[in-house]
Amino acid sequence: MEKELRERARELLESGEVGVVIGYGWNRRKRRTTPVFIRKPEEAERLVFNPLCVNNLSVYLTRKYPDIQKLGRAAIVAKGCDIKNIVVLMAEGQLKRDDVYIIGVRCNGVVYRQELWQGELRPEIMPVKCHNCDVREPHVADTVVGEPVLFTPPEEPVGMVFDKIREIDAMSPEERWQFWMDHFSRCIKCYACRQVCSLCYCERCITEKNMPQWIETSAHPRGNLAWNLIRAMHLAGRCTFCGECERACPVNIPLNIINQKLVLVVKDAFEHRSGYDPDTHPPLIVYDTEDKEDFIK
Amino acid sequence: MPRIGVFVCQCGNNIESTVDTRKVAEEMKDLPGVVFTCSYKFMCSSPGQEMLKEMIKKHDLDGVVVSACSPHMHEATFRKACEKAGLNPYRCEITNIREQCSWVHPDKTKKTGTLKSMDLTRMTIERLKRNRPLKTISMSVTRRALVIGGGIAGIQAALDMAEGGIEVILVEKEPSIGGNMARLSETFPTMDCSQCILTPKMVEAELNENIKLYTYSEVEKVDGYIGNFTVTIRKKARYVKEELCTGCGECWEKCPYKAESEFEMELKERKVIYTPFPQSVPNIPVIDAPDCVMIQKGKCGVCAKVCGPKAIDFEQKDEFIEEKIGAIVVATGYELMPNERFGEYGYGKIKDVISGLQFERLASSSGPTGGRIVRPSDGKEPETVVFIQCVGSRDEKKGVAYCSKVCCMYTAKHTMLYKHKVHHGQAYVFYMDIRSGGKRYEEFVRRAIEHDGAMYLRGRVSRVYEKDGKVIVQGADTLSGTQVEIEADMVVLATAMVPRGSAVELAQRLGIGYDKYGFYNEYHPKLRPVETVNAGIYLAGTCIGPMDIPDSVSMGSAAASKVLSLFAKEKLAREPIVAHVDTPVCNACWDCLTACPYKAIEKEGIRDREGNIVRWHAKVNEGVCQGCGVCVAACRSKCIDLAGYRDEEVFAAINAF
Repeated sequence: MEKELRERARELLESGEVGVVIGYGWNRRKRRTTPVFIRKPEEAERLVFNPLCVNNLSVYLTRKYPDIQKLGRAAIVAKGCDIKNIVVLMAEGQLKRDDVYIIGVRCNGVVYRQELWQGELRPEIMPVKCHNCDVREPHVADTVVGEPVLFTPPEEPVGMVFDKIREIDAMSPEERWQFWMDHFSRCIKCYACRQVCSLCYCERCITEKNMPQWIETSAHPRGNLAWNLIRAMHLAGRCTFCGECERACPVNIPLNIINQKLVLVVKDAFEHRSGYDPDTHPPLIVYDTEDKEDFIK
Repeated sequence: MPRIGVFVCQCGNNIESTVDTRKVAEEMKDLPGVVFTCSYKFMCSSPGQEMLKEMIKKHDLDGVVVSACSPHMHEATFRKACEKAGLNPYRCEITNIREQCSWVHPDKTKKTGTLKSMDLTRMTIERLKRNRPLKTISMSVTRRALVIGGGIAGIQAALDMAEGGIEVILVEKEPSIGGNMARLSETFPTMDCSQCILTPKMVEAELNENIKLYTYSEVEKVDGYIGNFTVTIRKKARYVKEELCTGCGECWEKCPYKAESEFEMELKERKVIYTPFPQSVPNIPVIDAPDCVMIQKGKCGVCAKVCGPKAIDFEQKDEFIEEKIGAIVVATGYELMPNERFGEYGYGKIKDVISGLQFERLASSSGPTGGRIVRPSDGKEPETVVFIQCVGSRDEKKGVAYCSKVCCMYTAKHTMLYKHKVHHGQAYVFYMDIRSGGKRYEEFVRRAIEHDGAMYLRGRVSRVYEKDGKVIVQGADTLSGTQVEIEADMVVLATAMVPRGSAVELAQRLGIGYDKYGFYNEYHPKLRPVETVNAGIYLAGTCIGPMDIPDSVSMGSAAASKVLSLFAKEKLAREPIVAHVDTPVCNACWDCLTACPYKAIEKEGIRDREGNIVRWHAKVNEGVCQGCGVCVAACRSKCIDLAGYRDEEVFAAINAF
């Protein structure tokens, strides 16, 4: 598969079809993978793909990285789950289909965190999204590499996140409040969750608007609550549950619980799954007279 | 430092009874930037306004807070007063301490009301400190109007506007203008023939140089905003070249094929190439394509052979015409609720059960029977006719909750017409109430009962069925408390008036409101009855709700006068409360565009010197924006602000609480 991948990348660079190939490569000690930006055909050899390739590289396609955009048209090595984010970027006018060459990789699942890797991909070290993955065969791509994957996702989604959501749903509002305030109290406002997210592409984030300062920037409970709530609301109906924010969080706030809850709520209310259709704008923000009004009692 | 004046109104006792306005005024004095405060009996009175103006000058105020009633009441009054005193009107802000305070806090010790009034006033003062002077937006106007619907309301509106010197485009979806009124026989309460009073108006509309008629056409698309709409009109293929046709009638004389006539309510057949009725305007036929053998199978073509001026064109296609206009009058009218919904009355199954409009055609001298009232089943004169009122109307379960308003009157008219034509006949009317409010209306109903002998039975009909060529009507007479069974020859149902089937779709296209039935919503049911929430679009006639001819005509004229007064000014002025995009931080994610209910947001590209678009951002069309603020809330990077309600102002107000 890697041979195929490198071959494809080399061709693309040689023909000048793209200016850069965004993919995964080994770090210096060959123990972890890291994003690489291949600009010369001979460097295509550096590309790898294995279960350590957990990063969602689609973030490099956003306006947050004008330097990468200057390198010309980009090709990107993307797993099905990463492609979902690219699809949302297209739905929101951030990318045109022609702006990016998608090298879809067939994926057997990745590790939840690279440091958990011990040479073998076991179910325990895979994130929830991999257990329920319906895009192991990339759904939008210009070319697909790798062996076909035989995997059918379970009918009812499985994983700790879903158990946790049920648990929190059963809590009283006070308990739930306490649960989240406890978690948010650890937030240090490093904004890693925002930086790693390809759908948090605003050139000026609302936290950086200071006339007026709606979101307090200091890391005290009120500011932390405001930031985490606004992050969730801004992603409602858009989040594809790629899990990068939770992975990036240095203080282990269980953001995936929020993200998955949002996914479920939006699916219920709008029958919308984010990341599948590049022509559908996220429904939470669309004026539609046909919207359900069953919340009006 | 700002120089703000605070004027607290007592509103007689409306506010004063639960708010100590003097204390509120006193308390505001100490706020930084406030240089004058007072409490006054009626701020909106002439002396109150004079005082306001005087104080602005005396204290050199640069901002005014009036704590009084809802801004819906007197915001305009106070802003105008401020403007006269040389202040920017948008530097005057209203605090609502009546509807949202004194009226809802009946605490007679005045404690709650006073404290809340202070909070509210303080918030407005802080908001005012940050708000900027605004200028009204002026826009150009296209002095042309579009009328959708060529019934009597639409014709009246078009004629009045044309008379006022503006160009009017009248779009009608049927082959002829005239609408439902052209179907009626006589009209209540004067009993003059409907066509005799309508056709002169139709001809007038055709001949008026300021009116451009598009019949057999529909409005496909509406873009733009008040003063500057662009509409796309679909001119359906007539298969007849209008410029050549002389209306001689040779084609429909010779056409060998027939179809059911829509105009005659299925009581008669018409040719496949036809005009709906003899006085059609324009007098140009259309070919009913699905029934035309030439168009479907390529055989026949008789009409083309007999046509002298060679006006028939089987190859004609739908045409799309774009027109620029400044205002729209919607007059799409009504239709009758399909009677098939009322199985117990046998409609659709029993041939001699007909609708009110069908009876109109039977009674009409230009109708399928030439004005003879006969049974549709066997053509015999009916000796007994039963009229059933409120079929569908006032029947929430099976029909609609509202009263169709005209049925009481037209049923009385029907009984009279029947009596005048069948002297020995007997009319029975089953009714719930007789609603005959209106000039000379009650007298008219009395005449039907007393002079023309119609038998009115108060009660509902439970069943209608056929027996031995008769229609048996079973019902209750609740006044005598007896069950009645009438052997009738014919039954006429006064079915509910409902909006056109396509009404909702058109409303969405136009961006105007409609109720659960599909009738269009007025801006204000009493005070702005012909305006809609979408500025520049007006309503007339039965698309608003059931009404009779005089009402429809007056609404047509009212809508026309609105358009004429709109066009009387060189430039349109509008409130500057619109959204603005801070373009350098716009992400071009188009959330605002999809969220806007008024389609007021457009994509705008920034080009480099070679003309390539290098960046996109959102742009608010100030003409369309209604200042609702949805985009402000939708924008993730908060790069949209609403003039007069900028985030900074709102934030300051919240902080002052």
